[in-house]
Amino acid sequence: MKVLATYNIKGGVGKTSAAVNLSALAARDGLRTLLWDLDPQGGASFLLRIQAKVKGGGRKLVRGRADVPLLLRGTDIDGLDLLPADFSYRHLDLALDGTKRPTRRLGQVLAPLEDYYDLVMVDCQPAISLVSENVFDAADALLVPLIPSTLSLRTFDQLSGYVKEEVERPPEIIAFFSMVDGRKKLHREVVEQLPASRPDVVPVGIPAATEVELMGVHREAVVESAPRSRAARAYRQLWQEIRNRVGV
Amino acid sequence: MTPFDMPIRTYLVPAGSNAADVLAELVALLSAGPKARRKGPPPLAPVARPVQMTTWNVLDTADLRLRDAGLDLGLETASASAQLVLRENGARGVSAVRVPRSQRRFRLQDLPAGRVKDRLAPLIEVRALLPIVELRRRDQPVEVHNPDAKTVVRLTLTDLWATPGTDPVRLPGRVEVAAVLGYPKPFARVDGLLHDRLGLQPATTRVVDDAAALLGDQLPAATVSHPPPFELAADDPAGDAAVRILGRLADAVEANLPGALDDLDPEFLHDLRVAVRRSRSVLREMKRVFDPAARRVQAEALRWIQAVTGPTRDLDVQLLEWDELVAHLPDERQEDVEVAHRVLAARRGEAFRRMKATLRGSEYQERWAGWRRFLEDQAAVGGDGQGVGSGPDAHRPVRRVAGGRIRSVYRRMVRDGRAIDDQSPAEALHDLRKRGKELRYLLELFGSVLPERPVRRMVASLKALQDVLGRHQDREIQADNLRALAPELAALPGGADALLALGALVDRLRVEQREAREQFAERFAAFEGLKVPS
Repeated sequence: MKVLATYNIKGGVGKTSAAVNLSALAARDGLRTLLWDLDPQGGASFLLRIQAKVKGGGRKLVRGRADVPLLLRGTDIDGLDLLPADFSYRHLDLALDGTKRPTRRLGQVLAPLEDYYDLVMVDCQPAISLVSENVFDAADALLVPLIPSTLSLRTFDQLSGYVKEEVERPPEIIAFFSMVDGRKKLHREVVEQLPASRPDVVPVGIPAATEVELMGVHREAVVESAPRSRAARAYRQLWQEIRNRVGV
Repeated sequence: MTPFDMPIRTYLVPAGSNAADVLAELVALLSAGPKARRKGPPPLAPVARPVQMTTWNVLDTADLRLRDAGLDLGLETASASAQLVLRENGARGVSAVRVPRSQRRFRLQDLPAGRVKDRLAPLIEVRALLPIVELRRRDQPVEVHNPDAKTVVRLTLTDLWATPGTDPVRLPGRVEVAAVLGYPKPFARVDGLLHDRLGLQPATTRVVDDAAALLGDQLPAATVSHPPPFELAADDPAGDAAVRILGRLADAVEANLPGALDDLDPEFLHDLRVAVRRSRSVLREMKRVFDPAARRVQAEALRWIQAVTGPTRDLDVQLLEWDELVAHLPDERQEDVEVAHRVLAARRGEAFRRMKATLRGSEYQERWAGWRRFLEDQAAVGGDGQGVGSGPDAHRPVRRVAGGRIRSVYRRMVRDGRAIDDQSPAEALHDLRKRGKELRYLLELFGSVLPERPVRRMVASLKALQDVLGRHQDREIQADNLRALAPELAALPGGADALLALGALVDRLRVEQREAREQFAERFAAFEGLKVPS
């Protein structure tokens, strides 16, 4: 079972859209896939038409007192299940803080699912916190969406540095461009030039496209609702890159 | 049962209806549901998805191992692609793997790595997956939505036709209803409607069984070389019983011959040889039920078939056991013996070509026709419907004749086994093993007319003894075979390295043979104290 996590310190950069679309593609490729919506906003749960509610809340979950399989929901895509979000996840740091080995708890939640899934995709909340440290510990790879702008790249450097220096078992980092606006010269230049100098950045850009925004209306992955769109093609290309890099 | 084992139920479409009729009735029932009521479960809406037409070749081994394990393997071909789709009875989801569109038969080594291969490997082993029956299927997927338009139950309504020739034959359609993880209540509701309101009956047969029932012998015959115990009556005339058994074994030879000649997998030839060996055993052990002169001619015919097929089978066994054998070598030496494997494979190719030519030739046809004529003649002798065969024991009850033979072979084994000590040559153990095979065949073929418990105990004890004797002899043969490669290997590039590595393997085989011999006394002690079934 491989664990991937869509993560960025910044919010609103396309994490949830990437998590939902990549999970859908994984399931369509025949991988038994679980998407864990760890963001208290519950964006992924909403997009998959599943109520963002976990019986017992985040505290029970991270303290090992929840029967995890009973919390799972099947999505409309055969082979893709969801561990839904819950608004109580906003206090997950507090719940983790009082536990033994607080940076390993999320990995322990996933441990009983080892035999049932080939891939777990975790959609994380932004910011560096105890929750994100847990994710860094559990994940085989972090998928980092980057808006091709100076500030965004600076944040990415901060994240890479932190993971390499502070995390005991650092996951592989795979960054990709997100919300790319082809009309902007800066976006075009960054997308063309950065992957050559940074091997942890894959040369794929998810466009800032209407179809991606319409996911909230259709409540469906772009790769399902508009499989021939530019955005869907970009997600498929990204998924191939990720598969090759992490070996799933 | 885990929460992941989601219920899947399969119902039959009633005769005279098709999948579309069932869907229409289900839509009517769900729309007349509790929507109008204030309380009660939320409304459910079935949404039909596009129909899929596929050609579906049911694949299985010739002895239907997948069917027996509750698996359906279909080769689904659409216009531009083909995939192997594996469905597990009652399990969630399917596994699929893409395969070349033109391929119809598969060995394990043809399958791409992945879940399908992992699941099939321990079941099919060396057997080939062959097309058993071709079906056309029209699948109507239906999603049942809750008020959030979320799928909470999945249905597949399927119309099926078998296409053995030009005219399709309609098979009973099926309705599969599958729960979605985390939504047990909508599943229970839809399942209840299908069963209680529409009166659909659970499917108790597999599609391939339905096809077999309708098409009968148009399906490829499953091999019968490992038949269930023959149901004989204790008072059946021994000649009649023997001829019936030999007839079944002859059927097994004929069922396996085409697969053996096409070299589909090594088991066809193996099963053919097992059937011939059993037939020889019956001729030998029940010789007093047959006409002696005719029996001698036919015994020679069967011996000839066994001799013709022997070299290919011996080399098959060596190749099948090769990986396990060389696994005993250190990693760095394993490549050294690759040249020996190539020599074996070439010899096997040559032996197969010779065997195929012989089995397609006139001598085989004549001998086999003679064997079939002999069986017919034996069955006809007497003409009174009471007994057959023309030897002195032909009309005696089979229980007495077979029971007597079992007693006799057992006693002979006990006598010979007691004479074996640490100094006895390997041939003594080999001879004992051959008698053990005779006894095993007698028990398997005629055991049903004898008391069950002593037969069962004797079979179990004999099996334990034969395992040791078999291991002892196999190691001897393997060592001899490896040594026999030496002259050819010595002349080949890399041959010297291979010879050194093979020397290490031969030593290893000798150790295993010694270990088997050490276990013999203990196994034999358990065997010699048995009660003889009579």
